[in-house]
Formats: sequence, structure tokens, C-alpha cells
Amino acid sequence: MASERARALREGRRRAMFQKFGLVQLNLIPLVDTFVAIVFFSLVAATVGDLAPILSGVTLPQAKVGAAAHQELTLGVSSRPAQVIFNGRPLMSVSAAASAVSNVENQPLVVPQLYSALKTAADSIRQANGVSQNESVTTPLAIQGDKTMRYDLLQRLLQSARLAGFRTITLQVQRATEQGAAPTVTM
Amino acid sequence: MASRFHKLRARQQEREPLTAHGRINLVPLVDILTSIVFFSLLTYTGAVMTNLTAFDLALPPVVVTANTNTSGAQKDTVTLILAVGIGQKGLTVAHSNGGAPPFQRNIAGLTAESLDTLEATLKNVKQQFPDADAAMVVPDDDVAYDDIVHVLERVKLANFRKLSLTSAARSMQVASATPGGR
Repeated sequence: MASERARALREGRRRAMFQKFGLVQLNLIPLVDTFVAIVFFSLVAATVGDLAPILSGVTLPQAKVGAAAHQELTLGVSSRPAQVIFNGRPLMSVSAAASAVSNVENQPLVVPQLYSALKTAADSIRQANGVSQNESVTTPLAIQGDKTMRYDLLQRLLQSARLAGFRTITLQVQRATEQGAAPTVTM
Repeated sequence: MASRFHKLRARQQEREPLTAHGRINLVPLVDILTSIVFFSLLTYTGAVMTNLTAFDLALPPVVVTANTNTSGAQKDTVTLILAVGIGQKGLTVAHSNGGAPPFQRNIAGLTAESLDTLEATLKNVKQQFPDADAAMVVPDDDVAYDDIVHVLERVKLANFRKLSLTSAARSMQVASATPGGR
């Protein structure tokens, strides 16, 4: 009887103190749960963050082998609409690229407009790395080409890139699974 | 006279001590589900990115800054020159055969069976020349990129790691204006 009375008194004092100082009880469990979810997804996002996105309007060919495709300077050839995209910016139409007349002597495959854009990018990389203007750039250039693209156009892209100073070219394609193609999402 | 609402409240208050310990607080559940849905949507595109794969091609540098020493000091390490031709009608495998008469094999078509034959042929070549690591792929102008990638894939599967894309000498000035190859 006395203990119940003492407990009631304690509870009364506690309630009064809580009211006096405006204290509220904090349930930390939801906070911890939410933070666990945030940390988990942050780690996942950090892992896949440097992987390459697929350009819009490009239907990539599929292959079962190949290295992981990282985010690089990307040159794309899309079919919907048919255009050449460099670093996310539409540069020219595919027909214009295919029919462009070279302005470099003894290099009939060079596409002048593309060459100019690639040269600017290569020069800025050289400047950032403190490399001489005469040296090739080691930074890879990724090509995401539509599966319907013809080799003569690809050849012109490769030649323009090579003359602009890019030495390493990466052809990025979609990884095919045993069940078939992976789902395509464009960014 | 007590209203229906007051009666309801009174009954709830009567029941409260009985159910006080058995209540389920849904707020944390909703919080967690909201975070999971939000971050799942955010990382979904990232998950698709992991489905990309890449073929590295090495292009010869355009500018040579230093004189390369080509005199006898450097040993020629090329053991085999291997080329895989791609045309609309089929594939061609040719290699230097290490001093013996050059090898050449034509494979008709660009079907899955043709590609299987190509892979088998290349694996045979790899068995004969285990040190050989480089292969040149030489497509015709009108070959679709899709077919080129399929051939590159088979060359990789046959354990030739250094790939290069080349083309036959040409006098053309412009390429075809049509993007589609088929």
C-alpha cells in the first residue's frame, strides 16, 4: 500500500517536472530506422554513381562480355532523333555527320564540326593535366552508338576522335543477360 | 442527454487501459516505407547503369613527340597477325600463321551459328598461338554496328583481349547518309 502511494507520488512529481520544463519523451527507434535506410541507399548510390548512363534515343547493341562501363566523355549516335550527341549536347544530325566533307588534308573521314568539338575537349583535358598540346589524351572517350549505325559512320567518328587526340576509345554496349536483354532506361 | 459522440468517447476511454499496451504505432512504418520508396526510385536508374558493358579499343596516337628507337634493340613481340573480316555475306578469319602459309577461312552469314563457328575457329587459333593477344576486326562500310559488337564479343570470348577496329584502304570522300544499315 505504501509502495503504491510512493510510486504515485513519484509519477506525480515526474509529470509535474515534465510539464514545468516542457520535456517530451523522444522515441529514437524510428529515427534509427530511417538513418539505417538512408545509410544503406547512400552506399548503393555511391557504388553505382560513377557508372555510365545510357543516352536518350540510343538503342545499344547487346553483349555478354566486356568490362564495367564507367562515366566518361561520351559521344553518342542516337536514332530517335538521328543525331550525334557529344557530352549530352546534340551536335549535328546523323545525315550531316555522314555527308560532311573533311577539312583536314589526307584525312577524308574527318567530320569537321565533330572534330572541332572533340579537339576543344581534348585541349581542355590537356590543359587540366598539364600535358603538352602535341600529346595524345589518355582520358577514354566512350561511344554509345545505336545498333543500326553503319560502320562507315563509326569509322568517321573514330577517325575524328583519333585526330583530336583521343587514344583510348570505349564502345559502350548493353550487357545481355541469360534471360535476354536488361531493361533499358534512358537518362 | 449524452450525445452518441460522447457515448463513443466514454466507451473508448473505458477500453483504453485494456488496449494501451497492444497498440501498433504505424508512424515509424510509414517513415521507413517512405524512405525506402524514395531512395529506390533514386537508385533505380543507377541499377540499370550497371547493365552497361564496354569494349576498349586502342587507337594509334596521331602525334609522336619523341623519336622511337626502331633499331635492333627492341624485340618484335608480335607473334601473330589476326584479322576478322565482316561483310554482309559473312565473316572471314585470316592470320599470318607464324611463318607457314597464311591461314584463311570464310564463314557464311552473320547468324548465331556463324558467330559460333567464328568463336570456335578463333579458339583453335588461340590454342595454336597461346601468346597471341591482339585481333583486328575489319568490317565493311555497310555493316551494322550491332553485327560488329557481336563479332567483338566473340573475339573477346576466344581470349583475344586487345581489339582494334580497322578498315580497308579507301578513296571515298563521304560516308553514307543513311544511319540504318539494314
